[in-house]
Amino acid sequence: MVKVEICVGSHCSLVGALNILETLEELQEEYPDQLKIERVECMDRCGDIKNAPVVKVDDDLITSAQTQMVISKVMERIK
Amino acid sequence: MSKLKGIYTDIVKIRRMVFAELARLALKDAECEEFDKIPYRIIDTEEATYRSSIFKERAIVAARVRMGLGMDYETNQEHKLLSEGIRDFLKNDNQLKEPLVNVIRFACEKCPTNAHFVTNNCRKCLAHPCSIVCPVDAITIEEHAAVIDQEKCINCGKCKEACPYEAIVNYERPCAAACGVDAIESDDYDRAKINQDKCVSCGQCIIACPFGAIADKSMIFQLLKSIKRGEDVRAIIAPSFVGQFGPLVSAEKIVAALKELGMKEVREVSLGADFASLHEAELFAEDIPEKQPYLGTSCCPSWTYVADKHVPEVKDNISESSSPMIFAAQSVKENNEDSKVVFIGPCVSKKLEALSDKVKEEVDFVITFEELAAIFVAADIELTKVDAEEEIRDASYYGRAYANAGGVAEAIRQNLKEKYNINPPITKADGLADCKKTLIKAKAGVLDGHLIEGMACEGGCVGGPGTLLATKRGAKYVDKFAGESPYKFAFENEKLNKKEKKE
Repeated sequence: MVKVEICVGSHCSLVGALNILETLEELQEEYPDQLKIERVECMDRCGDIKNAPVVKVDDDLITSAQTQMVISKVMERIK
Repeated sequence: MSKLKGIYTDIVKIRRMVFAELARLALKDAECEEFDKIPYRIIDTEEATYRSSIFKERAIVAARVRMGLGMDYETNQEHKLLSEGIRDFLKNDNQLKEPLVNVIRFACEKCPTNAHFVTNNCRKCLAHPCSIVCPVDAITIEEHAAVIDQEKCINCGKCKEACPYEAIVNYERPCAAACGVDAIESDDYDRAKINQDKCVSCGQCIIACPFGAIADKSMIFQLLKSIKRGEDVRAIIAPSFVGQFGPLVSAEKIVAALKELGMKEVREVSLGADFASLHEAELFAEDIPEKQPYLGTSCCPSWTYVADKHVPEVKDNISESSSPMIFAAQSVKENNEDSKVVFIGPCVSKKLEALSDKVKEEVDFVITFEELAAIFVAADIELTKVDAEEEIRDASYYGRAYANAGGVAEAIRQNLKEKYNINPPITKADGLADCKKTLIKAKAGVLDGHLIEGMACEGGCVGGPGTLLATKRGAKYVDKFAGESPYKFAFENEKLNKKEKKE
């Protein structure tokens, strides 16, 4: 089971977190038992908006996250 | 719908960063010189990332800053220091003027216009059905592949359908493909140019351009300055707002955050939708078919502009009812004469509606959800952590469902059924091209007796260019929120009855 925590606070939502979340949720439909998504409040890492969006894949913290980065990290662990 | 709708690209990022910068400078009452720094803050690399030159990247950001402030697009010949132009603009009336949607011409990469091309999938096959089905004999089989004579080609697409190897593609300018009213033309340099006589300001080309070369103007700065001056600013928020700011941000939190930003009051535009659906039901019951053959809804400004500019013969059959935005604004100003009203929505063309003589007294500012999200960031309001106090219950189920395609007509039909015992046939125009087609049909008399709903954006308002969510996702949130309304029908809405009683 891979656990993804995705920040959906103001900063992260503005710069693409909602789009990453959408792709993650589509992925979850394919791997319902292997992927757990937690939508979390601001993790206070985005003082500089350049660090947003913030996503955690298990213990791996990703700043300035982009969909393809997050999905490939998740897929590495699922496979 | 443009393929780019709902995808987060660097274009979206830059657009939003410009909005956030404008909001930041408005909130801190910055000097004009500070605006000169925005291109450097946003494009902060040493070398170009996106284009041929970093200076061009910054110049494009500067053009976005100007339009973000509501200023007119300037050609390269007129170019002057950003801060100088801004100082002049702010000194004068600083009001946004038409045209609303503009091509940043030097950002346009001059995509070829509509044409069919043979790709290297072509096997130069023996059958070559492409040339056989071509009605204008434009295809010859040359040494390595089929070749289309662009002078002869009429873009009928028959060759594309006939090719067994998918070797023929139809190449369209994304902006022109997204425009349902053929308003995109070319200037003398082959760059996209918007024919303002045809443009209905729906904003779909803004989303569709893969080079981010089209932008609309904004009122972010004017709105925030008004709040900073301590004016009594009240917000009305369009039905598609739910979910737009993330899955943890409830409707109530959005309202609370707007108050934290300085709004004295926040109302759902769905309340205005309840007024509008009752009014349009009344018009339909009274006038169809005796006084007019059919009724077109009035809430989508771009749809009404299609009638004005493209099928003027049908203009009088589009309802004269005010839009939900106007009704909602009036309900605010009724008790607060000195207040200013900001409409917050998914819509670009509402900015234009608000500039019209009929509406400018009612609605003072229009901003999009996307622009508001940038304002929240600039104001450092963390939406997930805002305390939501009061429940909002301004509107009925059908009023809230206005944001989804079909929702407007359904709301009016329910009123007609319940109050007048009429169940009219409904025609729904979904997307700008469909709007034009539908109005042409109406003109021909094919839709007599119909209630016609027009939505310039596919999927309805949730598909608007100012949204943050993918259209389908937004639609789900709207459905859910509508289901939570305490009233089903518009005429059950107590807030409405109170007003009617007063009259």
